[in-house]
Amino acid sequence: MIMPAGRHLLLPANPRFIALSLLLALMLHMLLGLANQGWMPDVLALVLAFWTVHQPRRVGMLAAFVLGLAADVHESALLGQNALAYVVMSHFASVISRRVLWFSLHQQALQMLPVFVLAALLEWVIRFITDDLLPQWPQLIAPLLQSALWPVFGHALLAPQRRPVDRDDIRPL
Amino acid sequence: MALDIDSSPPPIFRQGLPALSRLVLFGLLSVLLMSADHRLGLSQPIRSAVSVVLAPLQWAVLLPERAGSALQDYFTGVDEARDAARQYQSRTIAQAQRLQQAEQLLQENRQLRELLQLMQDTPGPSKAVQLLYETANPYSHTIVVDKGSLSGIVQGSVVVDVAGVVGQVTRVYPHLSEVTLLTDRNQNIPVLNARTGQRFIAGGDPLTLGGSLELRFVPASADLKEGDLLTTSGIDGIYPAGLQVAHIRHIDRRIDNAFAKVHALPIAVGRGRHMLVLAPVSDWPARPVKAEAPAQPQSRGKSHGASHSATPKASAGSAP
Repeated sequence: MIMPAGRHLLLPANPRFIALSLLLALMLHMLLGLANQGWMPDVLALVLAFWTVHQPRRVGMLAAFVLGLAADVHESALLGQNALAYVVMSHFASVISRRVLWFSLHQQALQMLPVFVLAALLEWVIRFITDDLLPQWPQLIAPLLQSALWPVFGHALLAPQRRPVDRDDIRPL
Repeated sequence: MALDIDSSPPPIFRQGLPALSRLVLFGLLSVLLMSADHRLGLSQPIRSAVSVVLAPLQWAVLLPERAGSALQDYFTGVDEARDAARQYQSRTIAQAQRLQQAEQLLQENRQLRELLQLMQDTPGPSKAVQLLYETANPYSHTIVVDKGSLSGIVQGSVVVDVAGVVGQVTRVYPHLSEVTLLTDRNQNIPVLNARTGQRFIAGGDPLTLGGSLELRFVPASADLKEGDLLTTSGIDGIYPAGLQVAHIRHIDRRIDNAFAKVHALPIAVGRGRHMLVLAPVSDWPARPVKAEAPAQPQSRGKSHGASHSATPKASAGSAP
C-alpha cells in the first residue's frame, strides 16, 4: 500500500486495549441506558464498528454477537435482537474497511452513516415483525449521533497508537 | 489516515471461514435465539448465564448513580425526613381506627368463611426489594430489582409499593429479577371496581395519558365513573385480592360501539426505590376439568380436587 502524503504511520494496536475499550463501551452503554431516552447513541455499536473497520482481523462478528447478547440481556430486549443488528453491522463494516481507511476520520464518519442506519433499521424491522411496533421519532436520531461521534471516539481510540516508537526523554521539545 | 505497522503480515492461506458464511452463521444463530425467545420461551438458561456474567459490570455501572443519590439524600436529608415523619404520623393516626377495625374484620371474615365453607385467602410470603434500574428498551416498560431466584423470588409474583400494585415479576435471574410494569402493552391484570364490585380485565396502554391502563371489553352500559378505584379482584390465583391498582381517569362511550373505552391511571406511578414482592397465592385449587358426560351424583366424591372451586358457589347459594 502506498501511504498518502502527510499521514501518520500508526503503531500496532494492543489487543488488551481493544478488549478494554470494548468492555468500557459496554459499561458506558449501560450507563447511558439509565437515562432511558430513545435518541441516545449506541456507544457499544460505535466502538464495535470502529474496531471492525480498523482491526478487521482482531474484532469481528464473534465479538459483535457476544456483546449483542450482553446488551440484549441487560435491556431485557428480545434475545438476539441487538446481536443480529451488530453482526450485520460488523459484516458491512469489515467489507468497507479497506476503502474507508484511506479517508480521514471526518470523512469516515460520513461513510459509516449508512452502516449505522442499516443496523438500526434491522432492529426496527425485527420489532415490527415480533411486536407490531413502529419506532418512536427520537430513535431516528441515534444513528446520526453515532456517526457524528465517530471522529471523537476515533481520536480517543487511536491515541495509544500515535505515541512515538521509542520515548526520547532528553528531547528538547 | 490510519495505516498501522502490524507485527505479522496478514495471513494468505488460513483465513478461517469466509466472511459471508460467518454472517450467515451468526445471523441464523441470532434468528434461532430470537424465535426461541419469542415463540417457545426456551432461552431462559442462556439469559441467566449471561446475566450472571454481567452482574459485576452492572453493579459497577450503578455505583455512581447510587453514590449520587446517597449524596443527595445526605444534603436534603434532615428537613425531608422530619416532614416525612410528621406526614406518616398523621397518616397513622388517621388510619388507626380503620387498622384496629381491620384486625377484627379479618377475624370475623375468617370465621364467616369457615362457617360458609368458603376458601380462605391466605397471603403468600413477601420479600422487600429495591429498584436497580429501568431497562433502556423503548418497546417495553420493565424495571429490574435487586433480588432473584437465590433470594426466593418466584416468577409471576405481584410487586407492590406503598400506594398500590406496580407490576408483575416476569423473568427471574439468579441475582436479579425483571418486573413488567402495569403500563406495558403485554401486561394484563384482573381488576374489580371497588364501588360496584364489577370485574374487568385491564391491559397496559403505554401511549395514552403517558402510560395508563385500558379496561378491555367493558359494555357501554357498565356503571363506571371517573375516579372509581380499581383493586385486584383475586380471581386468578396469582394476585391477592384487594390491592389498589388504578383510578379511572377517562371514559369514552360511543353510540356506534357496544364497548366503552375506559382508561385508568395506575396509582403507583411514583416509582419509589423500595417495593414488596408478594408470592403468588399458594393454596389455589386446580382449574376445574369439564366433564364429558353429564355429572353423575355418585362420581362427585372421586374428583374432589376438580370440583373444589365449584363448592363455594354451591354452598353460598344454598346457605340462605
